[in-house]
Amino acid sequence: MAHNFKSDIAVDWCPGCGDFGILTSITQALSELNLDPKDVISTSGIGCSGKTPHYLNIAGVHTLHGRSIPFATGIKLSNPHLKVIVPGGDGDMLGIGAGHFVAEGRRNSGLTIMIFDNEVYGLTKGQAAPTMALGEKTKSLARANVFTKVNPITLALTAGYSFVARGFSFDMKQLKEIIKTAILHEGSSVIDILQPCPTYNNINTMEWYRERVYKLEDDKSWDPIIAPGNEAQAEEKFRKAYEKGNEWGDRIPTGIFYDNRTIPSFHKRLNEFVPNYYTNPPATQIVTGSDGYTPVDVEATFSEKIIH
Amino acid sequence: MDLSLTIGGPQGGGIDTSSNMINRAFAEAGYNVFGVREYHSNIKGRHSYNHLRVKEERPRSLKYPVDILVALDPDTIFEHIEDIGEGTKIIYDKSFETSDLAQARLIMRDTAKRIKETLDSASLPNNIKGALELAKKKGGIPMSIPFGEVVTTAISEGPASRYFNTLGSAITLSIAGLEQKFAEAAIKQVFSSKPKAVEDNVKVVAAAYNYALENGMAGEKLKVLPKKKRLLITGNDGSTMGKLMGGLRFQTYYPITPASDESTLMEEHENLQYIQAEKNKLKEGGVVVVQTEDEISAVTMAQGAALTGSRSSTATSGPGFSLMAEGISFAGMDEVPLVITVYQRGGPSTGLPTRNGQSDLLYAMFAGHGEFPRMVISSGDVEECVYDAMSALNYAHRYQLPVIHLIDKNLANTTDFVPDIDLKKVKVNQAVRPTSTRLSFKRYNLDTENGISEMGYFGNDVFWMTGDEHDEIGHVTEDPVVRDRQMRKRFRKLETALNEIPLEDMVQLLGDKKAEITFVTWGSQKGPILDVIEDLKKEGINANLLYLKMFEPFPSDFVKEVLGKAKMVINVESNMLAQAARILKLNTGIDIEHNILKYNGRHMTEDEILEAAKEIIKGEGKKLVEVLENGA
Repeated sequence: MAHNFKSDIAVDWCPGCGDFGILTSITQALSELNLDPKDVISTSGIGCSGKTPHYLNIAGVHTLHGRSIPFATGIKLSNPHLKVIVPGGDGDMLGIGAGHFVAEGRRNSGLTIMIFDNEVYGLTKGQAAPTMALGEKTKSLARANVFTKVNPITLALTAGYSFVARGFSFDMKQLKEIIKTAILHEGSSVIDILQPCPTYNNINTMEWYRERVYKLEDDKSWDPIIAPGNEAQAEEKFRKAYEKGNEWGDRIPTGIFYDNRTIPSFHKRLNEFVPNYYTNPPATQIVTGSDGYTPVDVEATFSEKIIH
Repeated sequence: MDLSLTIGGPQGGGIDTSSNMINRAFAEAGYNVFGVREYHSNIKGRHSYNHLRVKEERPRSLKYPVDILVALDPDTIFEHIEDIGEGTKIIYDKSFETSDLAQARLIMRDTAKRIKETLDSASLPNNIKGALELAKKKGGIPMSIPFGEVVTTAISEGPASRYFNTLGSAITLSIAGLEQKFAEAAIKQVFSSKPKAVEDNVKVVAAAYNYALENGMAGEKLKVLPKKKRLLITGNDGSTMGKLMGGLRFQTYYPITPASDESTLMEEHENLQYIQAEKNKLKEGGVVVVQTEDEISAVTMAQGAALTGSRSSTATSGPGFSLMAEGISFAGMDEVPLVITVYQRGGPSTGLPTRNGQSDLLYAMFAGHGEFPRMVISSGDVEECVYDAMSALNYAHRYQLPVIHLIDKNLANTTDFVPDIDLKKVKVNQAVRPTSTRLSFKRYNLDTENGISEMGYFGNDVFWMTGDEHDEIGHVTEDPVVRDRQMRKRFRKLETALNEIPLEDMVQLLGDKKAEITFVTWGSQKGPILDVIEDLKKEGINANLLYLKMFEPFPSDFVKEVLGKAKMVINVESNMLAQAARILKLNTGIDIEHNILKYNGRHMTEDEILEAAKEIIKGEGKKLVEVLENGA
C-alpha cells in the first residue's frame, strides 16, 4: 500500500484555514505518485506554512524565515535523486526571501515551490503580505495597505522558472494534479496557491475566491507545455502565460500557466562538468581512502602549483 | 643571503606576474621566497605592490627597509619613500624623473598630502626628483634605467611598456646576482602556455641582464643551492587544498575579497585526482561549488547539502559573515556540520576591503542569537591553512556544529614555498550511512553521554529539523524539561571536544619553556614573532611564544599554566581592542598588560615588532600599548 505521508503531529492551524486543503493535496499527490518517503524532503520557512513539514511523514526542515529555498537547493544539488518540496508563505517567498525566489528561477534546481498565498502574515497577527493589493484594508490592519502587490505568477515567469502554476486550496482535486505534475517536472516549479486566512483576512475569503476562480484547462486549446523539439514555441507560450498571469479581479485563472521542459535543470548543468555527478554525487561520495587518510592526490590535482 | 624587496606599480600592471617570475627564478636556484600582496579595492590603476623576502632557509616574515625597490610607475616611489633605508636600490624608469606629485592622481589624497608634507619638511620639490633626493638622504641608491630603450633593443614591435614588469624583475634578479638562465627558466614557467610570450620575455630578460652588466649594476654571482620540488601556494590555496583533501564536496560562496579566490580556485579544480592506491577503488568524483545570490543563501545552502551527508562549507569575509549570523544560529541549534571559513579584512563595515585585519575574532565567537556551541579555530601560516581546513571539516562532523575557521587577509595573500603536503597528517573520517531506512529517527537522541547524537542523513532517514526547540525526532517542543535537556546535550559536545582534541591543535608554546618574555599571538604574526624571538636571542633576551589556535573551546588550563609562570607577557594582534587577549581573559581571568597592536590594514613586519617589543622590555611596563604603523 502506498504511504499516506501524514504524520501523527496535531495540526494547530485555525479552523477553516486554507492550509488544510494544501496539506491534503500534498499528501495525496505524494501518495498517488507512489514515492518512497525517504526520497522526498520538505523544507519550509517561518509562519503558519512553515509548520507543514512537521505534518508530513517525510524528512523535513522547518528553516529560517525566507530561507527555505537555499536549504532546499543545497539538499537537491548534493543529492539530485531526492525530490524536494518547498511549502512557504507569501512573505517567505516574495518578501524576506524574494532574493532567493528570483535566484532559484535562474538556477532551476528542480524544487517544487508552493506559495501559501493568503495576503497576510498570519502568525504575527495579520500584517499585509507582499501579495496584498494597494489600499486593501483587512480587519487586522490599522490602516489600508500602503504597498502595491507583487504578482507571483509574472514574477516567477520573469525570474526564469520553467514551471508556473496556480491552485486554490479549496479545489484539492486540481491542486493535487498540479503538485503531481510539478514534482515530476525536472526543473524548478512555482505553484501560487490561493487560500483564505479566516482569522485575519476578511476580504479574500473562501467565497470571494470561489466566485472568481476558473480553470485554464477548461479551455481545450490551452496548452502551456513546451516539449523538447518545440523550443520555438517557448516565446509565444511565455507571452500567453504572462498575459494570463496578469488577469486578476472578477476572474482569476488557475491551472498550469507555463511548463517548459526544454530548459536544462541546474543538476543537468552541473553534470556537464562535475565528474560522475549523477552517479557519485556529493552526498554519497567516499571521501576517505582505505587507510583512513585522504584519497585526493593534492599534487596531481593542483599540479600548476608545483615548482620543480 | 637575506634579501628584502618590494615591487610596485599600477594595479593590473603585471605586478603579480613579476613576483611570480621572481619567486620561480629564485626557486630554480634553490632559494625560498616569502611574500605578501598589497592592493587597493580597484581593478586598474591604483598602487599595488608585493613585498618579498628571499633566503636560503624558508623566510617566515617580511621586514623594512627593503634592499631593492622596483618602481613600475612614479607612484611607487612616492608611496614607498618610508620603506627606503641605507643601501636600498631603487630601480625605476628614467621617464619618471619628470613626474610631479600633483600628477599622481591615483595616490589616495590623504597619502599624497602626507608625502607632500614629508617633502616640504625636507625642503624638497614635490616631484620624483625631490623624492629621490629624500631617498638618497636616507641612504637609498636611485638607479635610473631607460626602460623603453632597453626593451626596444630586444623587442621592436608593440608598446615597450608591456614588458616593463619583466624588465624590472630581471634587473632585480641581476642585482641579486642570480644567473640569467634562472630568470629565463622562470619566464618559461610563468608564460608556459604562450610560446610567443616566452620568446619575447626571454629576449627582454637578456636585454635587462646586458644592461645591468654594462652599467655595473649586476651583483656578485649568487651561490646555487640544490633544487627541490616545492609547492608555491597562498593561504587561499592552502585552505582550498585542505578542504578538498578533507572530503569537502559542496562549497557555496558569494563573491567577496579576499575570500572568493578560495572558491574560484575550487571551481577550477572540481575534477579531483586520486592517489594511485585509491584510483581503482574509488569512483571518480568532483566537488560542487555554487555561487549564491548572497551570503544568507551561501550559509543555508551549505547546510542543506550537509543534511544529505556531504562535507560542506562556505567561505566569506566580514560583511558576508555578518549576513550569515542567523544561519549560524540555526546550525548551532540543529547540530548541522558546517565549516565557515572567514577571511578577516579590515573592518568595520566595508572597512579596508583589501587590507589585513584580525578584528572579527570576537564576532566569530559570538555571532548568532541565542546560546549554542560552536568551534572557532585560526591558522597562522600557509601549511596550517591546509591542515586546519581538514581538521575543521573533521570537527564539524564529529561534533555536529558550526566550525569557524579564521584566516587573516595577510595570510590569504601570502605566497610561500611549501616543501611537502603530508597526506597522512590528518585523518578523514567517512560518514557511516545506515543500510536501511530509519523512520522517526531520533536525530536528537538525548541518551548520550558525550552530547553527540547519531547523525541522520536525508535520503536515508526520516526525521525533522526546526529552528524551534525540538524533541528527539526533531518536532517543535516548548516543554521546559526537554528544553533544558537539549540545551545541556548540545553544550556537552564542547567538553567532549576539549577532551578529545590534541593540545597542540589548540595551543602551542614555541621556543624555550623558561623564557623571560612570553609573546602571545594568533594568525599571521606567528612567523614574524618567531623571527623576533631569534633577533632578541642575539641581544641576550630569551623569549618564547604562546601561540593560540583554538578559541572555542578554549584550552584554559594550559594557557593558565604557561602565563602563570611567565615573567613578562606581550600580546601581539592586528586589531585595536586586543581581541584574543579579551577571550583569554574571559576564559582564564588573566589580564595581559602589554600589547603590540596594528590596525592600519598592513602586514606586521619583523623590524617593527622587534622595535616595539624592545621598547616595552626597556620601559619595564611603563608603556602598555605599542601601535605599529608600517606599510604603504
